[in-house]
Amino acid sequence: MITDLTTAQMRQAYGSQTARRYTMIVIVSGLLLLSFFLDIATGPGKYSLSTVLQVFTDPLSHGVRLKVIVWDYRLPVAITAVLVGALLAVAGAQMQTILNNPLAEPFTLGVSAAASFGASLAIVLGVSVIPAIGPFLVTANAFVFAVLTCGFILMATRLKGVGSETMILFGIAIFFTFSALLALMQYMASEDQIARIVFWMMGSLSRASWEKISLGALLLSIAIPFSLLRTWPMTALRMGEATAESMGVDVSRLRVEMLICISLLAATAVSFVGTVGFVGLVGPHIARLLVGEDQRFFVPLSALVGALVLSLTSLISKSITPGVIYPIGIITSLIGVPVFISIILSTRREKLS
Amino acid sequence: MTLSIQNLRSGYGKKEILHDVSIPTVKGGGFVGLIGPNASGKSTLFKTLAGLVSPTAGSIIIGTDDITHLHRKGRARRIAYMPQAFGCNALLTVFESVLLALKQTTGWRVKDENLERVSDTLSALNLSHLANRGISDLSGGQAQMVAVAQTIVRSPEVILLDEPTSALDLHHQLSILTSIRNEMDRKKPVIMAALHDLNLAAKFCDRLVLLRDGIILADGAPEHILGLSEIGETYRVKTELEYTKRGSIYVDARLSA
Repeated sequence: MITDLTTAQMRQAYGSQTARRYTMIVIVSGLLLLSFFLDIATGPGKYSLSTVLQVFTDPLSHGVRLKVIVWDYRLPVAITAVLVGALLAVAGAQMQTILNNPLAEPFTLGVSAAASFGASLAIVLGVSVIPAIGPFLVTANAFVFAVLTCGFILMATRLKGVGSETMILFGIAIFFTFSALLALMQYMASEDQIARIVFWMMGSLSRASWEKISLGALLLSIAIPFSLLRTWPMTALRMGEATAESMGVDVSRLRVEMLICISLLAATAVSFVGTVGFVGLVGPHIARLLVGEDQRFFVPLSALVGALVLSLTSLISKSITPGVIYPIGIITSLIGVPVFISIILSTRREKLS
Repeated sequence: MTLSIQNLRSGYGKKEILHDVSIPTVKGGGFVGLIGPNASGKSTLFKTLAGLVSPTAGSIIIGTDDITHLHRKGRARRIAYMPQAFGCNALLTVFESVLLALKQTTGWRVKDENLERVSDTLSALNLSHLANRGISDLSGGQAQMVAVAQTIVRSPEVILLDEPTSALDLHHQLSILTSIRNEMDRKKPVIMAALHDLNLAAKFCDRLVLLRDGIILADGAPEHILGLSEIGETYRVKTELEYTKRGSIYVDARLSA
């Protein structure tokens, strides 16, 4: 049915659409908060939410033991889940926008594979890329290789005539290269080292520490305003490169700026917890379905959904078998696959209709 | 407002596409049709004017301001360029897509006046019924009209349209060009459109510029330009100019044997 709208009706529709989006952000934030506290409450010893909240407001209210469990063991893990989920989802959301490809994320572009190789280099050969890094050897190596990979993708974009499809192909090439190198490292490794590599690659939140948390939080607090300042050009980019350029957007510069931002986010996340696939894919995808692609809402909501997904994953990883914490990388991928398939199917439907 | 182009040279890398192009003063409220065969430099001229390609020589002047080297954002405030149509799969409504065209040059926060401007533009182009539709659900003609809305919502002084009627049916061709003429009568911008259909060009334009191989061959009133022998030579066809009963120009073209 075709009905002409008055100008007032159009403005009103836009107003209620905006209101719905703010509501969505509030709802997801609420769910995230709930999941965060449930995550803290769950573990080898289960506590009620109210107990956790009491220990939270008054650390010694239930004795020293509970204070140590909540504040020193579970809180860093729960915060890391939220932070890394947000970092990966924001990185994925931005990659998908600048590459105009809904499948782009740190994992599919080979950043995770590069980080894994960096980590294995440290585990097997004890080779440090940054000298005198000490206990952070594995993390630092992973970070350096992830940044180098992003740098390589960045350089590739600056080559003349390289479009977004070519960049995805570069990503796939990187993925295979580092997977092969990783296999080589495993071939050379001792049994004990193989076990460590495999464990690293599965992704685990048990490597949480306050140093990592503060670094991650700092990065996110820079990256979110940085992205929000560029939301209008980024939204324009969704209209296609030519249209964005005609609106006055310097597309190649925007790509470079965003890639630098994404590199740091993705490299940090991956080097902290190892390979966690699909959060960078699932977070933005759900956010897109909820609020569309106005980046003012899309980017913050992607961060929130990513954080929620990883926080829930952390919760699930502790709940399947009592006393056992499964690596989160396994669980995200198992949740990720059905979502991945639904993305492929829904894009096919769009083309058919 | 006026636009004038003086001795413009431009191209990609070392390859020069436009050789010394001059288009003397185009007055605001004038509709200039840019005609010429494929690869004659029409898109390059538009991209150079819009600042997407840097000229190697010459100048572009709006009113009394030389904007040849004005940065991209500043230029986007004065010149709006509509590239040839592309599909897009973004999850945005028509209203949002027009709003974002406006927001590139008007600060971060969405103000009431921005929303007013968008809804007025959609109403003026008879697109209000599509305001809440997703842009990926539009037909080709509707998408093209939305692209026009994205172009005129900024109230630019110069509007450049690259083949606005390509791939559209007769109704949409006429309704797009009529909307553009209405906009012209309302706000008096300079309008230049690259057109392939010479009959449409004759019907809607006040002035035609004939481009071939990056050189301007002729520039003048439609009835004058379309009657020139250069038209036939440029398009490699035989043309004859006829007038219909209602006084419209009709270009009758045949392949030259």
